[in-house]
Amino acid sequence: MKIFASLARGSLIAYTALFFAFIYIPLALIAVYSFNSNPINMMTWTGFTTEWYAQVLGFKTTVSENALYIESTDQLVQAVWNSLMIAASTTTIATMLGTAIAIALYRFDFFGRRFYRTVMFMPMLMPDIVLGIALLIFFVNAGVNLGLKTIIIGQCTFLISYVFIVVSARLAGMDRTLEHASADLGANEWTTFRKVVFPQLLPGIVGGALLAFIISMDDLVITYFIAGVDVTTLPMFIFAMLRRGIKPEINAIAVMMLTFSFVVASLGLYLRSRQK
Amino acid sequence: MSSIAFRRRAQLGLLLGPVSLFLAVFFLGPLAIMIVTSFLAPGLYGGVEWTWYPHNYGRILGFADPMFEDFDPVYIAIFLRSLKIAALTVVATLLVCYPAAFCISRLSERWKNFCLFLITLPFFTSLIVRLFIWVLILRQTGLVNSVLLNTGVVARPLELIYTDGAIVLGMVYVFIPFMFMPVYASVEKLDWTLVRASLDLGAGPIRTFLRIILPLTAPGIAGGAVIVFIPALGNFVVPAILGGAKVMMLGNLIEQQFLAARNWPFGSALAMMVMSVMLVLLCVYVIVSGRRGIDAATGR
Repeated sequence: MKIFASLARGSLIAYTALFFAFIYIPLALIAVYSFNSNPINMMTWTGFTTEWYAQVLGFKTTVSENALYIESTDQLVQAVWNSLMIAASTTTIATMLGTAIAIALYRFDFFGRRFYRTVMFMPMLMPDIVLGIALLIFFVNAGVNLGLKTIIIGQCTFLISYVFIVVSARLAGMDRTLEHASADLGANEWTTFRKVVFPQLLPGIVGGALLAFIISMDDLVITYFIAGVDVTTLPMFIFAMLRRGIKPEINAIAVMMLTFSFVVASLGLYLRSRQK
Repeated sequence: MSSIAFRRRAQLGLLLGPVSLFLAVFFLGPLAIMIVTSFLAPGLYGGVEWTWYPHNYGRILGFADPMFEDFDPVYIAIFLRSLKIAALTVVATLLVCYPAAFCISRLSERWKNFCLFLITLPFFTSLIVRLFIWVLILRQTGLVNSVLLNTGVVARPLELIYTDGAIVLGMVYVFIPFMFMPVYASVEKLDWTLVRASLDLGAGPIRTFLRIILPLTAPGIAGGAVIVFIPALGNFVVPAILGGAKVMMLGNLIEQQFLAARNWPFGSALAMMVMSVMLVLLCVYVIVSGRRGIDAATGR
């Protein structure tokens, strides 16, 4: 019986190792092959090169014309710039609104609380495409020109939910005795909020903001429908590239994006998980 | 009314006012307009005509519609196929996540948190990049085929990409965190004394699993199934990249109606189908697993 138990345990551990391998080996592969010099068959190793990175970053390279698809890095730079601008705006708006609604639902009792909770979870359950087309119909009917403005508004509708959830988790885990102490010692409500509640809440707010930023940077589906013809974001740019055929530059872009997301998301998740 | 109560109300208004306005106009408003649009007639050159036109829904089911083709079950076929792929995705994701959840739940606190972090992290990396990697692995000249060819296992490259299997694989890869979190939440809460009691009283491991472990973790499984099934059903990025032009799913059909065919009412009706499947699933879920339902479904 003992042998069976340890055998079962061993296979469970092996299975879990495979589980993580399944998640991370593809990511490791692309990181390795982004340094492959083979311009045609990207998964056959022919030598180490940093040319693709140099090409993407706009340096002079010896890469031949037909191995490329970005005519100039200007398009790419523009897409990155758009994405960053959108992410910065949406993060600001969504963090303020998401935090406000989290505080309202946790610290106040009022009619319609459950309705608000449901509305907060709706964008996370709904398929992106539904929200995307609903926004498209709405903006076109309202006579709004599609562009940066519509992307920012559209992304905020679901980013508020993400901020809300992270800040709520923080509020739920907070120690209220400190607030009572502060009130007992004669601090008024505003002072208590500023000096006691807000500092405790801050990691949650920053964590939520970072996650909102990264989700905004990566959003494809909703942005795709409400971007109009003039504005391209980074994920849209890559989506368009993929539909035209795959060339090695995309590896380098992908690895840079992964690195960026990993760093920002790690920070956000760290701030979210740190309790008390 | 006391001044404190008044101040509380004012504070609440200040907190909720702007966000209520924003969500009413830019979230609930658009959804309402989409519902209305799904009952309107498509204009000849794109656009919408403001007349009552329920045939959009009939057309999905295959009935002839006054403006377009004859009886044609092509859309219902796409709908059924999407349901099939989404169901396969749920089953595969569950098989991938369930055993791992047991293993991770028995680790020490530090390792547990680290593992959860590793599983959540990919969710925040670019969807398109994660799918692109699978194109490199699966395509004709991709990694799997070049390994198989070089080792002589196969003589000609296998057709791995642009198949239903490739789509399911891509979906599983993308949706792992969605399934893992709710499943893990219920596995972690599992009372192992019950399992031990069952084994002590003479039930075999299989019986213990079916009678004790499975029912106790069922809420997590149901929650994970719902939040994987819904986005899988409406997904259009995965089929667009890993399905090529060969495999059409509901998401692609909706995209096509909006960006190529410019039949917005029909596209809206299709989106309503996705929404109604979602509502049915959520209702079933809430009835089956009670009020804790929604909280578990969102991983909290």
